[in-house]
Amino acid sequence: MELENVNPNVYNKVNERLITAEEQDDNVVDEIDTREVFDLIRGINDPEHPLSLEELHVLEESLIEVDNDRNLVRVLYTPTIPHCSMATLIGLSIHVKLLRCLPGRFKVTVEINPGTHASEHSVNKQLADKERVAAALENRHLIKVINQCIVSN
Amino acid sequence: MSHFSGALQLTDLDDFITPSQECIKPVQIEKTQTTTGAKISIGEDGSYNQMDVSGSFQKLEKVEITLADCLACSGCITSAEGVLITQQSQDELLRVFQENKKCDKNEAKLIIVSISIQPILSLAVRYNLAPNECAARLAGYFKHLGADIVVDMSLAEGFAVLENQKEFLNRFKNAPKTLPMLASSCPGFVCYAEKTHGNFILPYISTVKSPQQIMGSLLKSTLSKKWDGKLVYHVTVMPCYDKKLEASRSEFFDADSQTRDVDCVITSIELEQMLTREGITLLDMPKSTYSQPWLDGNEEIEIQLTRNLGSGSGGYSDNILKRAAKELIGLECDEIVYKNLRNPDFKEILLQNNQGEVALRFAIANGFRNIQNVVQKLKRGKCHYHYIEVMACPSGCLNGGAQARSQDGTHSKDLIVALELMYEKLPVLNLYEINEFAKVIISKEEMMRTEYKAVEKINTALNIKW
Amino acid sequence: MGKLELNQTLGKHTGRVWNVAWHPKGEVFASCGEDKTIRLWSKEFGKWSNKVILADGHKRTIREIAWSPCGNYIASASFDATTSIWDKKSGQFECNTTLEGHENEVKSVAWSQSGQLLATCSRDKSVWVWDVAEEDEYECAAVLNAHSQDVKKVTFHPNKNLLASASYDNTVKIFKEDPSDNDWICVSTLSSHESTVWSLAFDKTGSRLATCSDDKTVKIWQEYAAGNKEGIPTGDEESVWKCVCTLSGYHTRTVYDISWCRKTGLIATACGDDVIRVFKEEENSDPNAPNFAMVTCIEKSHQQDVNCVAWSPNGDILISCSDDGEIKVWKYTE
Repeated sequence: MELENVNPNVYNKVNERLITAEEQDDNVVDEIDTREVFDLIRGINDPEHPLSLEELHVLEESLIEVDNDRNLVRVLYTPTIPHCSMATLIGLSIHVKLLRCLPGRFKVTVEINPGTHASEHSVNKQLADKERVAAALENRHLIKVINQCIVSN
Repeated sequence: MSHFSGALQLTDLDDFITPSQECIKPVQIEKTQTTTGAKISIGEDGSYNQMDVSGSFQKLEKVEITLADCLACSGCITSAEGVLITQQSQDELLRVFQENKKCDKNEAKLIIVSISIQPILSLAVRYNLAPNECAARLAGYFKHLGADIVVDMSLAEGFAVLENQKEFLNRFKNAPKTLPMLASSCPGFVCYAEKTHGNFILPYISTVKSPQQIMGSLLKSTLSKKWDGKLVYHVTVMPCYDKKLEASRSEFFDADSQTRDVDCVITSIELEQMLTREGITLLDMPKSTYSQPWLDGNEEIEIQLTRNLGSGSGGYSDNILKRAAKELIGLECDEIVYKNLRNPDFKEILLQNNQGEVALRFAIANGFRNIQNVVQKLKRGKCHYHYIEVMACPSGCLNGGAQARSQDGTHSKDLIVALELMYEKLPVLNLYEINEFAKVIISKEEMMRTEYKAVEKINTALNIKW
Repeated sequence: MGKLELNQTLGKHTGRVWNVAWHPKGEVFASCGEDKTIRLWSKEFGKWSNKVILADGHKRTIREIAWSPCGNYIASASFDATTSIWDKKSGQFECNTTLEGHENEVKSVAWSQSGQLLATCSRDKSVWVWDVAEEDEYECAAVLNAHSQDVKKVTFHPNKNLLASASYDNTVKIFKEDPSDNDWICVSTLSSHESTVWSLAFDKTGSRLATCSDDKTVKIWQEYAAGNKEGIPTGDEESVWKCVCTLSGYHTRTVYDISWCRKTGLIATACGDDVIRVFKEEENSDPNAPNFAMVTCIEKSHQQDVNCVAWSPNGDILISCSDDGEIKVWKYTE
């Protein structure tokens, strides 16, 4: 069967991050910044193509918001095509990666970049429902697929 | 609004057709290492061709999930599917009629319509007609559309009852562990059982086909020589949509004629829609007659509807009980009275023999909640009945999911009562005569029997619903 | 103004704690969560401790537990699609009955006030009503397919066999038994919330219902029976429910649970912003347009989302549980 999006656009990866002196200083409380969040998720694979979400431009650093004071992290992602049926799975993978890697104090919101998907509202609602997400993660078939996307290279 | 029974509705009523976790036709995703150089183009014939880097074309496989696959699966019932099914039946039927009229005489099919009693009564109340007149005008309507022959399903209903009696006696005497025997004529129950409880419950279900399918086999196989080489297109008129699923089961595909035993199922509510679309009512149709192609000479007869003793779903419990009482404990059962248990849709009768001991325990369980209770009791080993007439619709087939709704705001419960009264007034079919006839016409017992398969859930991970 | 004082923090569960529930006598409470256990907590020498653990009853997260009104049974609803009934006949709580039938995760379970009925609901969009027959036999009395989405919570009316359910479809539905065929029908649909309704609670009279939602509001609904003096038309329904108050601007994230104390009338909410809030109806408030004021709130009551709050039967204690795995016991004083 043909892939849903057979000819996705592929983008270059961004340059490596410059490490500043402050970041190396252990006395400074570790705040999270958007670059750090991006680094956590940029390498997640698309379930259909052997390409990362960064290369497919599904994720961009500019669409990530971090508020350290209120402990909020918000990631907007852009599905490759407006009817992408993998949208929920991709969103779930991003969400899971962040749940596993960010400190527990953060409230994580993963949403579709407004205007880029036909079922934006219902996908966002499903991703925001932590009970649905929790139950989904107890489904070993689903977790296998998600882990394949998340644990890469 | 789905016209499927509650048993089937419970499984994933959803508004888009994507292969769900339960879809037994999973879409294969070939994970090929495509480089970004691959280009896909659509050929003139609508096929997809991939041109790889070297410039050569490769036709890509299209995966098709046909509606027949979808219908046969019953893994998920989507409301979109419900709409498709409606369109398929009415439009399909009208198209078949049209084409048959226009084509060459030797290409034409023989269109046979077999009508069950429940839709007749439903339409009789709807159009305010006496049952026999309603059937006569319905036959007239079908002939007006282009049907060649219209027959009464009651013969097949009689065969079904007789075969069920036979099977029950055999199980009781020789295989008591396969009791309680469960009725097999309700596809809502059968599909639910195959999908949800699989191999645990299937051995209990009677292997006798439903009347619809018996009629299909009768017309297409047993009487095949009668049609002079013409292809038979068999339409049945039924009180629910679940019968459409039944008709498309792979077990009911006739290898000889390469067609299904039942080609199209049309329901009460759809007939009502068809009449309304044409701007007519049944009263506008001329009265016609039923045929009896199983008799030599193929006489047309004036319609005299009959019923089976017992419930409006076919009277399986009553008739089997009567026969079992006579043969096993020498009792003539003239009056069979059930006692309501938790609710009026679950009733039982405990028949005592001449020594006052309970010898036969039969029950009628209608509606999904009661199906649940039967299944759970069976699983816990606490089901002490010998036979249970299980139907997916509360109040049984007279209240089927696609029976006509009341027009004047009559409460649906009053409508059911009216249908039941109408049913009870009909004369009872003479099973003795039917039995004698069966001996003559039924050559192979297999023609009356079928089998069941547990439907496995396949986990197509990329499409798991959560 | 009232206040909530932290009495104790209990950290025995591993993983998030979804629900806490009081035994009707108020001396014991139960908790459940992701670690698939039910823990029973009682007070010893003035301190709450976990003496009993009920394990091996479920294969996945236990989402909610409910004590029967007599206190002798616990029902547990699990993501493994089953509901277990635990009884103490042998001297210790054991799971002797498992209710099956739902297609996927069971989200909530509730007992009727008589203890004769049980209700469960699931992501399969259905609400099931079970009859408690003799000898601990549970029979399916109804399978209700009224909601169009995942059903999050069910609760019975405090003194009638009336059932309310909250759903991902943004509505609340009320069900009642039809005596003519003992089947249950949906008699009312309460639509006003703009997103998933997570939980609901009747007040002590049962003529008011509080609902809480992902839309960050709490709504109070009032029942108007046929022939009501306010002149609200009821059609041929026996009564209608109207939203008479919306509390907005307080919660900054999803409100996961709401508890309405039968004794004091105070309403407590559990929210995804880690805050526990308590509301009280103002004195001299118009019953058809009541005002509820927030009497106290605890910022950072837990380190993560608060999933459940439950008033003790006599209203002096509030227990809460969170995604952070902890249960907290709060003393409420005026």
